[in-house]
Amino acid sequence: MDSPKKIFKMGVIKDNPVIVQIIGICSALAVTNLMMNSLIMGVGLMFVTGLSSFTVSLIRNYTPKHIRMMVQVLIIAAYVIIVDIFLQAYMPEMSKALGPYVGLIITNCIIMGRAEAYAQQNPPILSFLDGVASGLGYTIVLLMIAFVRELFGFGTIFGIKVLGDWWTPWTIMIMPPAAFFLLAIIIWVSNTIQEKNKDVKKGQVAK
Amino acid sequence: MKKSFIFPIIFMVLITAIFTFVLAFLNQSTAERVALNQEIELSRKILYIFDIKPPSEKPEDVLKVFDEKISSMPYEDGLVYVYHGDEGQVLGYAVPVSGPGLWGSVEAYVGISHDYSTILGIDFIRHSETPGLGGRISEDDFKEQFRGLDLTKASDGNYIIYRPAPGGNVDAIAGATLTSKSVSNIINEDLHRFLKERGNS
Repeated sequence: MDSPKKIFKMGVIKDNPVIVQIIGICSALAVTNLMMNSLIMGVGLMFVTGLSSFTVSLIRNYTPKHIRMMVQVLIIAAYVIIVDIFLQAYMPEMSKALGPYVGLIITNCIIMGRAEAYAQQNPPILSFLDGVASGLGYTIVLLMIAFVRELFGFGTIFGIKVLGDWWTPWTIMIMPPAAFFLLAIIIWVSNTIQEKNKDVKKGQVAK
Repeated sequence: MKKSFIFPIIFMVLITAIFTFVLAFLNQSTAERVALNQEIELSRKILYIFDIKPPSEKPEDVLKVFDEKISSMPYEDGLVYVYHGDEGQVLGYAVPVSGPGLWGSVEAYVGISHDYSTILGIDFIRHSETPGLGGRISEDDFKEQFRGLDLTKASDGNYIIYRPAPGGNVDAIAGATLTSKSVSNIINEDLHRFLKERGNS
């Protein structure tokens, strides 16, 4: 049995879906030009991943093994539609800003990855936490990228002006290529740090 | 467990039915709200086009002012919104215009005065241009430029001409040449068609 602490540590740091597993990249590049969009996208993904993992795990003992993927896709699609309906009804502005990306949450590999890798073998509550943890890891990376892109591209943070009128916005930051550079830099930095940590631990064991 | 042929089918049908039911229920219970949201947004935009300021941004106020001053009539596939003054006289029309933008179709309304001589304002209903570049067509700085443009002097339906071309009357968006170009094409073409139909080209 995994402890919740371990699950979150894996999902957010050691096994972060975006920077370690390199999945869910497409949406990470697409919605990160504004922090608010990234946050809503991240929360949406956390909700979908958590609940679909929960549901998959709940019925895992009754699901015939050879049709389990079909069942998973169905469950994920249902939750994505719920998020879409919710945004349209209660946050119309956000729904417009995210546009087709909400529907595309379903194609995010993180969700099915967690359902297959974790929820298929573990009890519902832990699966739910695992889904939320992975979603949280995704959200944090998205917010890091969005922070740099919004700051340099618009001079704002969450829509609040922080850089004065003297600031010339960098158009490149709003365009998709900027997300590529930033994501690569984040992966580089985090890999370097994690490698170093590993070396230190190995050194201790050797002693 | 022996692999059964029937069980997976029953299982799939059952689980699909359950989820479909849940989604249909949610959709049904929010449909009214979604429709209302869209109506409020459209009302806000039509009022903006005619430069009418509701007493507040609250949905009730927006809808109340909209109901008092605006009526609609069918035109082509959509509606033309008509702006009425206090005595019921016609003050202007909001004409739907649409066409291809850079990434997807752009839909907008152009408000023109009752004698078809000037543009009162424009607003975009739907577009999918790059945020921060072409997407800036929906910012006030861009839209405000269209207020009060003279339509009578234009030749061959070239109502919108970007500076610094001769006869230019509007500034395009820097870094979004293609989007700007589509917007002027859309407005020029559709407005020309509307004005011609009204016998006032």
